[in-house]
Amino acid sequence: MSDPSDALASAKAAADRIVKLKRLNACLTPIKELRKSLAVQASTAHPSGVLYGMPVAVKDNICTLEYTTSCGSKILEGYRSPYEATAVAKLKAAGALIAGKTNCDEFGMGSSTEHSAYGRSFHPFDKTRVPGGSSGGSAALVASGAVPAALGSETGGSVRQPASLCGVVGIKPTYGRVSRYGIVAYASSLDQAGPFATTVADTALLLEAMWGHDPCDSTSIPSEPEPVLARLEEGVAGLRVGVVEELTDVEGIQPAVRAAVDSARNLFEKAGAEVDTVSVPSVEYGLSAYYIIAPAEASSNLARYDGVRYGLRAPAAEVATMNALTREAGFGAEVKRRIMLGTYALSAGYYDAYYGQAQRVRTLIIRDFSRAYERFDVLLAPTSPTTAFELGAKTSDPLAMYLSDVCTIPTNLTGATAISVPAGLDAAGLPIGVQVLAPALGEAVLLRAARSLEAGFAFTARPTLGEAA
Amino acid sequence: MSVTHDEVRRIARLAELEVSEDALPLLAEQMSRILEYVAQINSVPASEAVKPFVPGPDAVRFRADEVKPAPLAFGPAELAPAFRDGFFLVPKLGQFEQEEG
Repeated sequence: MSDPSDALASAKAAADRIVKLKRLNACLTPIKELRKSLAVQASTAHPSGVLYGMPVAVKDNICTLEYTTSCGSKILEGYRSPYEATAVAKLKAAGALIAGKTNCDEFGMGSSTEHSAYGRSFHPFDKTRVPGGSSGGSAALVASGAVPAALGSETGGSVRQPASLCGVVGIKPTYGRVSRYGIVAYASSLDQAGPFATTVADTALLLEAMWGHDPCDSTSIPSEPEPVLARLEEGVAGLRVGVVEELTDVEGIQPAVRAAVDSARNLFEKAGAEVDTVSVPSVEYGLSAYYIIAPAEASSNLARYDGVRYGLRAPAAEVATMNALTREAGFGAEVKRRIMLGTYALSAGYYDAYYGQAQRVRTLIIRDFSRAYERFDVLLAPTSPTTAFELGAKTSDPLAMYLSDVCTIPTNLTGATAISVPAGLDAAGLPIGVQVLAPALGEAVLLRAARSLEAGFAFTARPTLGEAA
Repeated sequence: MSVTHDEVRRIARLAELEVSEDALPLLAEQMSRILEYVAQINSVPASEAVKPFVPGPDAVRFRADEVKPAPLAFGPAELAPAFRDGFFLVPKLGQFEQEEG
């Protein structure tokens, strides 16, 4: 595609598909605004870019100039950012068209996209189930074919888990590879943006367009990443693959998910990889460490929503009351719960037992993964212990919801990279995902291994537009 | 690990959240369950003594000290709930003003 009329047609078709899939509640942008912006973008997009004319939907916690950025929260309802995220700017520079903002759990805090102030999103294969979260809107739009790709963000698995539940590919890049500038902070030592697509190749294409050093993000890695797309088809012959015992035998794992990991293991072996099991003992503490560290950072990051500089303000005669009433009215229950937990973990008398110990556990997890990578090039594990669960099944039990992230969280704690690849359907016809993990900066080998699995699984299940949810 | 209602009230004040009395029992129960679960990190064997992970870059990387235009599409006046003559407007500071008075 190199003609503006082609880009315009692509934009119009994407908008039409998003309208058709309105019942998924995956896109938060009003359709008139979406059509108008896409038309403008199509006429001004860079024709020489590798993504020219590709509609890419963007999670609502990533700042864009074209649309509001509410983070799925009432406290930022109608908020327009005065700047855009570097990742978004890079996608646009490559010719992509930003196709609206996608629904998400408020500030990225959730695993089902049921914790949004703008209503829950629905699974594209089954309207009684969740699409996963927190980037559930992005995953649902890609899975249903509304857009070829979307941008999400991860703090504890919010790209890979919904990718797994919806049957698409989703990658969490190495911490610092994709700029966090313009990605609304939840837990800054863990946050990282990542793309969704239906193929590993498209995921790699987006990644190459959006990553690289950014002086606006002090944690951005200063070296330039090595190309990954050109090496996708190099195969896995001789590659050493370790199956992580603790994640594969995790409590509550659905038998079909466990079987999919075995299938992935067989596919790797058939393709010439050397596969063995590996123990990463400290991952059993990962979930606990995460649910101390992430809320602790959130309690600090979300202190900025005080009704003074931007966002909601509740009327009050005195400033401290105004702060508290604004936050009480603007934040949803899950966000408040995590702020409370984080404040508790950081408070006098509890700091060392919770936050300090959690950071020690984080060091242990990093050490154990480093040892595993001395023996193996990549690791294999389920992405989520189960396929998509029913709407409302876990909303009244926060701990049960948190356990959905048990397999993805360790990668966020280590700052490494991992990708979820569709691996088939369970007996209910719901997608299963398996994840490949690689050390920090290991995206080239990660994507090569993921491409090999993709070819082996040959997953093609998609809801048609008329049938989706 | 059991979190009392008084502790929830204290944490809510620290977090600048206005938690209603009706919401206290459920929040205390949920926080207790979650804190009980995450406390398992304290069962890591003492032989595994390691230093806490410190987030952030190993060293601060300085940029050139250059004045550059702020890359903003619009200024704070467009975003603030109340803004006048270059200042954010807030309600009275309450106890602080009384102390000064």
